[in-house]
This record gives sequence, C-alpha cells and structure tokens, in this order.
Amino acid sequence: MALSFGAREAAIVTKRHAGRPPEAYLPLPPATFHILLALADGEQHGYAIMKGVTARSEGTVRLGPGTLYGALKRLLETGLVQEGGERADPERGDERRRYYRLTQLGLSVARAEAQRLEAMVRAARRKKLIGVRPA
Amino acid sequence: MNAERIYRLLLRAYPPEFRAGYEREMVLLFRDQCQESDVRTLRFWGAVIYDVARSAPALRVEAWRQSTRTMEGIMKLAAMLTVLLGVLNILNAVVEWVAGSKQAVSGAYVLAVALGILASVLLLAAGVAILRGTRGWQAARLALFASLVMIVAARLLFPWMSIFSQLIGIGMPVGLLIALYWPRRASPLGAA
Repeated sequence: MALSFGAREAAIVTKRHAGRPPEAYLPLPPATFHILLALADGEQHGYAIMKGVTARSEGTVRLGPGTLYGALKRLLETGLVQEGGERADPERGDERRRYYRLTQLGLSVARAEAQRLEAMVRAARRKKLIGVRPA
Repeated sequence: MNAERIYRLLLRAYPPEFRAGYEREMVLLFRDQCQESDVRTLRFWGAVIYDVARSAPALRVEAWRQSTRTMEGIMKLAAMLTVLLGVLNILNAVVEWVAGSKQAVSGAYVLAVALGILASVLLLAAGVAILRGTRGWQAARLALFASLVMIVAARLLFPWMSIFSQLIGIGMPVGLLIALYWPRRASPLGAA
C-alpha cells in the first residue's frame, strides 16, 4: 500500500521516538486524549473523530479541522496513530476519506493517561474536592 | 465567493508541507461542517477563524523547528565564530595593554583592560562549551553572562575599546544567550 505524504513523513519521525515508554508522552493535551479515546472504538476518518469528540465531551470540546489534523499529524509522527488507508464512507458520499487507527503504543499511552487522570480524580476525592455535596 | 473558497484562502495560513499532507482532508471536513451548520452566521465563521488562528501558528512554529533541525549545526557555526572573536578580542586587549604600558596609566585603565581580556577569555570558553553540544550549554550560559557583565564593567571603568569591540563584546553574548534560552518543544504531542 502506498503511503501518503503525511504517513511517509510520520514514518521518518516515528523512528526518532522508537523505544520511549508510554509514560514519556504524558500528560497528553486534552484534544489529543480525546482523539485517542475516539480511535479506541476502531478505525475512523477525521469527521467521525470530530463528531465523536463533540458527543463524548457533551459539546465542551470542539475540534476544528486545523486542531484535529494538527494533532493527528503529531500523533502519526510519534507513532501513536497510523493511517488505515483511504476509502469512501457510505454515509458521507463518494469522496475517499483517510482513516486513522490506534497503534499498540497509542493504546498504551491512552491507558497510561487514563490511569494518570484516575489517580488525580482519586486524590481530588480524598481531598473532598469532588464527590461531596456543597453545604 | 463561496464558503469553501474562503476556507481554502484561510488554509494558506498553514505551512506548505502541512497543507500538502492534509489540505484535501481538511477541506472535506469543512464541507461536512458546512452541510450541518449555517455558513451565513457569524458564529460559524468565528469558530472557523478561531480554529485557524489557534492551530496555524503552532504548526508554523513546528515546521520552522523541523526545518531548523540543523539548529545545532547553526549553533556550532556560531560557536566557532565566538571562539574566533574571543581570540581576536584577547589579541586586541593585549595590543591595547602593550600600547598603554608605554605611558603612565591609571589603575582604572589597567582594571578595564584586564576585565576586557577576562571577558574575551570567557567568550572563547563559551564558544568551546557550545561546541561540546547541548551538555555544554549550561556552562556556556554562565560564561556568557559573566563575559557580558565584565565587558559592561570594563566599558564603564575606562572606554578603551573600539565601537566594533564593544558591539561584539555585548552583541555576541546577548545573541547567543537568546539562542541558548530559546524554548525547546517540551512535548512531541504539542499543546493543543
């Protein structure tokens, strides 16, 4: 399968990040974590990722094309995401769309970030910052 | 002019390499957005412009950093120049010292020339430290700070240096300090 410009560039940069543990990528920028969460459901194209992020965050995080593809470019370069080929989405017309999927490293990084956030939430709960009704 | 043409114009804010890889996908996504939103509203275009204004400068900076991956190479060239200028400044100060010693000189003059020599030696040392790579940068910063302070002190004590020497003695450390303190990207995943 022929690699797109972005994927070729990413393959070169990914070599530079090879061997880094998942924790080395933390903390993740919120938009990046949202994209990884969206891709945890499986291969998706840009618009599906964008809609998924908006739905999951209940509209609090809205990724525009620039923010989304900027983040995807970085994720490809760091080897957290890879391209899954181009094909049309029957629900969105005949235009061929580029699909993206999580790599094993991307999945590990998303897990590590989720655990980091969970630990922070636990700490906040212990300090009674959340989970307590205000008087 | 339709919305897509306006958006294509806005995309020029992004670096060419990024556009080459993602422009088609971004336009496709924009088309999807247009189908689901009212493109005649200020809110829609506000969000589009905010997205471009937020992401394009960051990607420009990243592209610039990638194109200046030879930053260390440039720093090495600057370091060699620093070493050379350090040597020239030392020679200049020694010549001044020899010329001055033939006549009665004040203590301030002697101290100013000695400070000039020391500042030049520090400039030279900073150049050598930068040549050792990033591990020598902290030592280089200290040497440059000290050199700068000494040049200014020498200038205030006794104005023996030429304008050219002063420009080099002050401009070179300032320029190198800016380059050495220039922030490096902390996360490979950016801040978005």
